[in-house]
Amino acid sequence: MSSQDFIRQSAGLGSSTAKPRSIWRIIHMDPPLLVGLILLCCFGVMVLSSASGGDQEVVQRQAVSMMIGMVVMFIIAQFNIHFFRQWALSMYAGGIALLVIVLLFGVEENGAQSWLNLPGLPSFQPSELMKFAVPLLMAWYLASRPLPPRFKHLFWSAVMILIPSALIILQNDTGTAIMVTMSGIFVVLLAGIRWRIVIAGFIALMLASPAWYIFLAQEHQKNRILTFFNPYRDPTGAGYNIIQSQIAIGSGGIYGKGYGNGAQSHLDFIPESNTDFILAVLAEEFGLLGILFLIGLYLFVLLRGCFIAFTSTDMFSRLLAGSITLTFFFYVFVNMAMVSGLLPVIGLPLPLMSRGGTSVVTLFIGFGLLMSIQTHSRPKIS
Amino acid sequence: MISKWQVKDHEAEAQLFNRRLIVAGVLVILLFAALIAKIVNLQVYQFDYFSSRSDGNRLHSQYVPPARGLIYDRSGTLLADNQPIFNLTVVREQIEDMDATLGLLSSLIRLSEEDIEQFNNRLSRNRVPFSSVPLRYVLTDEEQSRIAVNSHKLTGIAIEPQFVRQYPFSALTAHSVGYVSEINRDEIERMDDETRENYGGTNHIGKTGIERTYEDILHGTVGYEIVEKNNRGQVMRELDRTDPVAGQDITLHLDARLQEAAIAALGDSRGAVVAIDPSTGGILAMVSKPGFDPNLFVTGISSRDYNVLVTDEINTPLFDRAVNPYPPGSTVKPFIGLAGLQYEHVDYEFAIEDPGYFRLPGVSYRWGDYTLRTAIGGGHGHTDLQKAIFQSCDTFFYDLGNRMGIDSIHEFLSMFGFGQNFALDINYARTGVLPSRDWKRATRGEPWYPGDTINSSVGQGYMWATPLQLATAASIIANKGKVVPPRMLKEVGGVAAEPIVENAIPDVMVNDPDYWRYIEESMTMVVHRAYNDVFRDYGTAFEAIAMADREMPYKMAGKSGTAQVVGISQDIMKTEDIIVSDLNKDHGLFISFAPAENPHIEPQIAIAVFVENGEHGSSVAGPVAKQVIDTYLLDILQIDFAALEAEAVAEAQPLIAAIDE
Repeated sequence: MSSQDFIRQSAGLGSSTAKPRSIWRIIHMDPPLLVGLILLCCFGVMVLSSASGGDQEVVQRQAVSMMIGMVVMFIIAQFNIHFFRQWALSMYAGGIALLVIVLLFGVEENGAQSWLNLPGLPSFQPSELMKFAVPLLMAWYLASRPLPPRFKHLFWSAVMILIPSALIILQNDTGTAIMVTMSGIFVVLLAGIRWRIVIAGFIALMLASPAWYIFLAQEHQKNRILTFFNPYRDPTGAGYNIIQSQIAIGSGGIYGKGYGNGAQSHLDFIPESNTDFILAVLAEEFGLLGILFLIGLYLFVLLRGCFIAFTSTDMFSRLLAGSITLTFFFYVFVNMAMVSGLLPVIGLPLPLMSRGGTSVVTLFIGFGLLMSIQTHSRPKIS
Repeated sequence: MISKWQVKDHEAEAQLFNRRLIVAGVLVILLFAALIAKIVNLQVYQFDYFSSRSDGNRLHSQYVPPARGLIYDRSGTLLADNQPIFNLTVVREQIEDMDATLGLLSSLIRLSEEDIEQFNNRLSRNRVPFSSVPLRYVLTDEEQSRIAVNSHKLTGIAIEPQFVRQYPFSALTAHSVGYVSEINRDEIERMDDETRENYGGTNHIGKTGIERTYEDILHGTVGYEIVEKNNRGQVMRELDRTDPVAGQDITLHLDARLQEAAIAALGDSRGAVVAIDPSTGGILAMVSKPGFDPNLFVTGISSRDYNVLVTDEINTPLFDRAVNPYPPGSTVKPFIGLAGLQYEHVDYEFAIEDPGYFRLPGVSYRWGDYTLRTAIGGGHGHTDLQKAIFQSCDTFFYDLGNRMGIDSIHEFLSMFGFGQNFALDINYARTGVLPSRDWKRATRGEPWYPGDTINSSVGQGYMWATPLQLATAASIIANKGKVVPPRMLKEVGGVAAEPIVENAIPDVMVNDPDYWRYIEESMTMVVHRAYNDVFRDYGTAFEAIAMADREMPYKMAGKSGTAQVVGISQDIMKTEDIIVSDLNKDHGLFISFAPAENPHIEPQIAIAVFVENGEHGSSVAGPVAKQVIDTYLLDILQIDFAALEAEAVAEAQPLIAAIDE
């Protein structure tokens, strides 16, 4: 009976299995996704080149990071996604172990104690690993249980998400903690958690936030919130970034000031113009058209991710693909909303645009997983 | 086979997932739409606003220089003030073509190559982006209006007011107060990071005198302001400000009236006067003549003006004669005499029969008497120490010095500050030379000869002292051995300054305090003892001072000196437009303190006068000293000596009556 179900399901949704094996299927690449990513990378390098004031070293390093990312994506894509499913629990456990080690022996950089220098390995951040280990584990856990998940399963899901998040918050890296939490929550949401639970959770969060603001929030976090509501309460301090980036965006107009002509960015009025605030540079130089082009590219990649989730044949793949895609969106949206003043300042980079090698490689690992889901022959479940 | 698969309904689950994914997709689209709406709002509807803020308005962080502390004299007269001037300033970042702008500017106002060179130096200093840099100081009204008329062509150019130093007494305080001038690259490089930051908005720094010594007190702490400027460099509004802390005002012991009196007393002569209040060590007057206008240096002296100052090798106006050494001549005799008493080489009864010259045993060379001029052929006759001082008998001191030896002379005169700088806050003062065996070996590589001692005992030969040192030494005699180091600083911010003395200078202790009375009496005789006809040159001080002013209500103790001119540069000798013989004339010196031998009041002033090529100490430098002392005691302090006397008599009257009974 079960195998009967499975065949029917495959016939209905798994259209790709029926197609002849193309060259793309052999090298396990998904052409639309690949094209979208290459376009994003090219645009990203171009904007970064202007934002960094033509600093060749910065641009080259970013380009090299992207190459490495592509290679990593290619390697990941060669593995069947169920290989990762089998290893999900071990990866998660190993990741937790590394997070604990980092807390004990980690190296502090930019205020976050998240780097691990292991002998013989390049230094890396175990918290980045958790960005995949958590959705992998959640997808593995929930896919093998009846959906929508029971309360018991939800409870254990929450535990599995919160342990690594808590460990990352202890490293003082709130941004990554939020991403890890979200990547897990997305799996739960896609797995069909009941809306009333979602709504109840949302209301609980709303009610808890004043308490968080009063009792737990640190001074700079409070400042960011206050600045969000009124950037001019401290125009030269906390509000400076957001005022200057809004000036940059607004003064770009529809057509922009032209590549390399951003006065705000080139006169160093935008701090972090290479990293978190790079959207302001883009908006100033390429205008609304540039922003729409970028959103278009992102949307294309997102829709392709949704399509992959949609068409995959088993629940594990669906949940994982859906979570990776939504997490990518979350990244994009939070950064853009923060720079344009829709959200308070949270230190998250703009995917594939902001300078930073680790973030690029992490993103490509995710895309590698997507490609693996899309291009490997459907699993046989006995 | 019956496992959890049974309870899983794959199709239903897939449909559930798909619904969720569709909801997520809709949310993604909605959120992107919100984002685009926000950005459209910024870029389309608020474009004009943000565009003008970006093009026209810029946030600038700039330094706010502190106001420099003012300098007052002891009576509250301003010696250094801050006055507003208008400068032409440039914001480098706003200028597209610097050469074209400079070209346009030089067609509007006077702009020399020096100005441009200085401007480039200032540009290369560590500075905040978009800060204005002065291009020219002190714009005239006409220049200001020309700039204003053309301001539409001069983006990034502005006229900014600035407070700069102004020295109301000009040359009168040029050396002692000194001046500020533009900070140069070396000075910037020598600063540590913190100091450099503190001078971020400051253009001037103390270069000489008090301005340099007390730079730290006078400068203050820099402030900051963040302003919005438009594209013309004009400040639109101030966003944030940290006020600078102004430098502290300081009050000096100097008295501007006494400075004026000293300059006036020197007349047309070149020279220096240093006057000290013996009880406080406060320097009441310190002048060097000729001076120069220190105001020229504040806003950058032109090379023409500067050349005039440095090429004048005769008047050397930049040279501070008050703190540079000359042979002290006979002014050292009271100190040598006191040394003789202290080391028991003479006593009050000891006397020599002066033949008019001195001869070392076994040496045929005769050391003649400078004072007598007639040299060999007649002497002072029977001469004791007192007579040797007031008649300035060289022979007596040749003999005394020879018997005492250079080691004793060096030891004793050291205690009076010869060869050292006793001044607390005039660190640029030279130390002169108090010769010793070690000194000669170290500097000349020669042993000490007995003849060297003989020259030294009358303040010639290797001995060199500055007018400041001579005044200090005179004040120590006036204080009967108590050493109060001379100082300029009286108050900081209205609070009496307590200088930190690391190595307190010990007082001069003598075996019998009566020696002080004896020396004071001898020095008073120099001025007040009427001469007889036996010696031609004796009594000139009396003639020039006490005899010239028979009404003099107080007595002054003094000692003249005449210093031989050691060498004149060949360049000057060749100059045609001066009388060379004048430059060969001896320098006249006079040290004094007053009132002397007054039972009612301690000495109020000790003074050293140096008159370059003045020929005679007593007749030329003496009256200068008298004039300055008169001004201080009678005009400034307004001491009524007759009233003091009368008061003392009135107090004594009952005692006398009691004794009579």
